[in-house]
Amino acid sequence: MATAGTSGETTSDWSLLARIAQRDEVALSALYDRYSALVFSTAKRILHGTGEAEEILQDIFYQVWETAERFDPERGSLAGWLLVTARNRAISKLRRKRQSADELDENGVSLTLEIEARAAQNVLLDKVRSVMQSLPDGQREALECAYFEGMSHTEIAEKTGQPLGTVKTRIRSAMETLKKVLR
Amino acid sequence: MRNGGHIREEELELLALGGLPDDEAAAVQAHVAACGECAKKLAESRGSAALLGFTAKQERPAGTVKAELMARVRSSSEREEHYAWPMWRQNKGDGETAEYVTSRRKNGWLNWVLAPAAAALALVSLALSWQNRRVSEALEKQRLATETLLHDRERTSKLVAVLAAGDTVTVKLAPTGETVGSGVVKYNGRMGMVAYSVQLPVASAGKSYQMWLIPVKGVPISAGMMEKGAPSLGPVWMAEVPANTETKGFAITLEPAGGMPQPTGPKVLAGAS
Repeated sequence: MATAGTSGETTSDWSLLARIAQRDEVALSALYDRYSALVFSTAKRILHGTGEAEEILQDIFYQVWETAERFDPERGSLAGWLLVTARNRAISKLRRKRQSADELDENGVSLTLEIEARAAQNVLLDKVRSVMQSLPDGQREALECAYFEGMSHTEIAEKTGQPLGTVKTRIRSAMETLKKVLR
Repeated sequence: MRNGGHIREEELELLALGGLPDDEAAAVQAHVAACGECAKKLAESRGSAALLGFTAKQERPAGTVKAELMARVRSSSEREEHYAWPMWRQNKGDGETAEYVTSRRKNGWLNWVLAPAAAALALVSLALSWQNRRVSEALEKQRLATETLLHDRERTSKLVAVLAAGDTVTVKLAPTGETVGSGVVKYNGRMGMVAYSVQLPVASAGKSYQMWLIPVKGVPISAGMMEKGAPSLGPVWMAEVPANTETKGFAITLEPAGGMPQPTGPKVLAGAS
């Protein structure tokens, strides 16, 4: 069933995905090695616990195994999808919400950066952290409340005591700064 | 929320971040589902939001998670094989066979008798399973054929009733533009039935002809599509319309495949009652 493996650092995500669609376990293993830390860390950051984060991690990669043929490289980034799906599922668990409303389709995340190599991931990691640290406290707090705690802008306004308009402006400004990383 | 018919970028960013309340998120998602431009912008915003995952403290999961995942994957693969070869897997995995294998070691002489018998039994089981599937498929085909016959009989009865009724009116359809064609409509208002036969060129890709009853009062009423799968009896199409509708006539328009609630395309044939 499994075919000979290739270097996880050089094979593209889409090549791995094509092999996974052909039921190649070695390719799934390589993709897991590539992104499991990112997916797991995102889920754990939200849930503050290891057990549920591991459950999400396993479920997401099992979904990749089951539905690999449905991903379309023309329409989005696999790495982006993995990260955003991990976030959404963790938030659903955190808030005990049904997942259906938050679930993304397979191609709904556009991430133009190449982060298949470990080195590229490390470079991006430093870059994003540096950008986040450069943000004013209010902007960073608003972003983190929304992304890692699943709070709506109204809830953030209540929590921070800021007017709703201010919260929206802060999020907008922070997102603009973040987008510069992608350019 | 809207900006020239599109969702404002800040709303899309909030949705990407998960910062929109559920009701607003649902409204934005409904628009995005039908708007390619907004869907593209949302995907970009999600890409930016995904970067926040990098700010989490990076940790490697325990090795057992991967081991469990791969075991789950292997198990699913085995289930697929099981589905493809049910008899083989059942014989390979069940307790009796295991017992047989154990006793085989104890009773070497008996194996010479039982091994061929077990192989023959497996072959017979396989043959019976194959035969059983063939019989099931044949029965399913027969059931579908019977259903089709019953539907055809019902349609035939209705068509005969429309054609034979004294109060059925006949409307001849003639071209209204450049399209060459003709048609005849039999309409019985009391029964609320329309039957028609039409000669027209094949509709262009993605289009279908749609028949309309033009009432004396109110808007046109669809009297069916002329496309594959629509109720028909050979070359005669049939449709039910509200009973006792006073009609001025009938018309056929060219519409997107699947039909429209009201005419939108060019009228190709028409006739007055």
